Amino acid sequence: MSVLNPFSKLPGLNTANILLVESEEQFQQSLADALVEETAATVNVRLAKSLPLPLENEEDRPRIDLVAFIINLTSELSFQSAEASLKFLDPGYFLGKVCFMVTNARNTAVPTERLDAVRKLAASLHCPLLFAEDQTPDGVTNATERLLSILKVAAGLVPMTTALYLSSLTRCTVPPDIDQPSFD
Amino acid sequence: MDTSNKRLIQRLMSRIPIKMLRTTLGKWGRLTEVQLKSMNLTQSKWALTEKLIAICEENELEVKHLTELEMIYIIDNPNQGMWHTFQLMDPEDDAQSVELTQFKEQFKSHIRELVRQVSVKMKKHTDEAVWIRIAWGDAFSRPNHLKPTYVVHHLQTPYVFVTSLTAKQKPLLSQALVLSTRHQAIKDANLSGRKLTAIRDLMMRQYQQVFPTKYPSPLTEHNPTVSNPHIGREQAEPAANRLQMACEAFGGGMLPQLQSAVYKLETKFRDQTNKTMTEREEPFKCVVKFASTNLLESLRNCASSGIASTPVTPLLSSIPLKGRNYFVITDNGPGPSSKTDQPQN
Repeated sequence: MSVLNPFSKLPGLNTANILLVESEEQFQQSLADALVEETAATVNVRLAKSLPLPLENEEDRPRIDLVAFIINLTSELSFQSAEASLKFLDPGYFLGKVCFMVTNARNTAVPTERLDAVRKLAASLHCPLLFAEDQTPDGVTNATERLLSILKVAAGLVPMTTALYLSSLTRCTVPPDIDQPSFD
Repeated sequence: MDTSNKRLIQRLMSRIPIKMLRTTLGKWGRLTEVQLKSMNLTQSKWALTEKLIAICEENELEVKHLTELEMIYIIDNPNQGMWHTFQLMDPEDDAQSVELTQFKEQFKSHIRELVRQVSVKMKKHTDEAVWIRIAWGDAFSRPNHLKPTYVVHHLQTPYVFVTSLTAKQKPLLSQALVLSTRHQAIKDANLSGRKLTAIRDLMMRQYQQVFPTKYPSPLTEHNPTVSNPHIGREQAEPAANRLQMACEAFGGGMLPQLQSAVYKLETKFRDQTNKTMTEREEPFKCVVKFASTNLLESLRNCASSGIASTPVTPLLSSIPLKGRNYFVITDNGPGPSSKTDQPQN
């Protein structure tokens, strides 16, 4: 069992590395294509279906600055896979180097409990929770921009701020009345 | 021209879309060049139908000419209605030497022996298929041309594809087919679908198949490889493996478009948490139906994306392997996990 460690390798010059974890492997490809378009810094994207990552890639894998879990809300499997993968991350990652991205949240077929579960998960780990639209090109661009802004901070490319500082501002919080029945 | 012929023309005209009308009528060849030109396709269907009826009266066309037109249209557009597959069994020694004219004569004479009032029309299509149109009648009525049965048979193959056949006519058709193709029996192949070409390809294995290899072939052409050096796949190998397994089970490239697969379960209910159901003696009967516009494609995608486990369960992979989409699953012996599918004949 190999645990991914945030500080086990040296960072590259003006480089940011992101790991996209998605069990369905659909959205991550379009996101990756958009992410590497960034010109201000070199962005390396690693794609994975789930963690742990295979040992044989250990050598050529750069230092991962940000781990993004993509959860498709229409699929229970997607959530369970992300939840199971979390165990293979070093605790150091949870100091601002993990974020969750949820797709299909506006789909009416999604049970509300699943979104609540994701929010609780993100809140308990002090991670930001992003919502994204994966069907339209605009949605992909938006999601890319959001990820990039977090990634740049996490990779230390933004002066005067750190991932931990940013995450204390952006982390997901659960409203206190989330468990109470709503009146709608 | 009597009313039944008029109704036949009306029925035909309502089925043929305006855009295909000219080519279909051209292929039919019963209209003169001038008559064909006089059909103004900007007119309404109703006006065109009246026009066609008038032309048919003028040319003194009969039922057999009209059925010809219907066959031309159906052969060009076979994806209507439900096609069922039958398989001929136990060929006799001379089954391989049956040729078209002999088959034609034999089939007609055999079916006329069984039903007096029947109208049979045969046509050989360009792809070697013999198309048979049968309008059934009974002792008191003339053949009903509004509800014909279509049969497609490729000579020297054991497969027969049939659409709109009623239970009453099935034994008659079966007998005529068995005798005229020099076989001894016919059975339901348990494959049905809306696309004739798809079920034919599935039956005759006319799709790209992938075979297990020790040395994985270069999958590059159908595996979207990561072109950008900045994008790296961590689990590329398992993904390629899954794709290979899925392709081995369901075939590569374009797959035949099957609409559904039905599993009829007659197994014992097994669930440790539910004692009352598990202890029941009689099997728990239910029907599981998978439906999709392209079922095999969906199943392959399920397997390659990891939603369904690989290697693919024999229950799913036997759809292309055995060429059928209706299964009856029964308990096989007393073993706790011995679920097998048994061919239902």
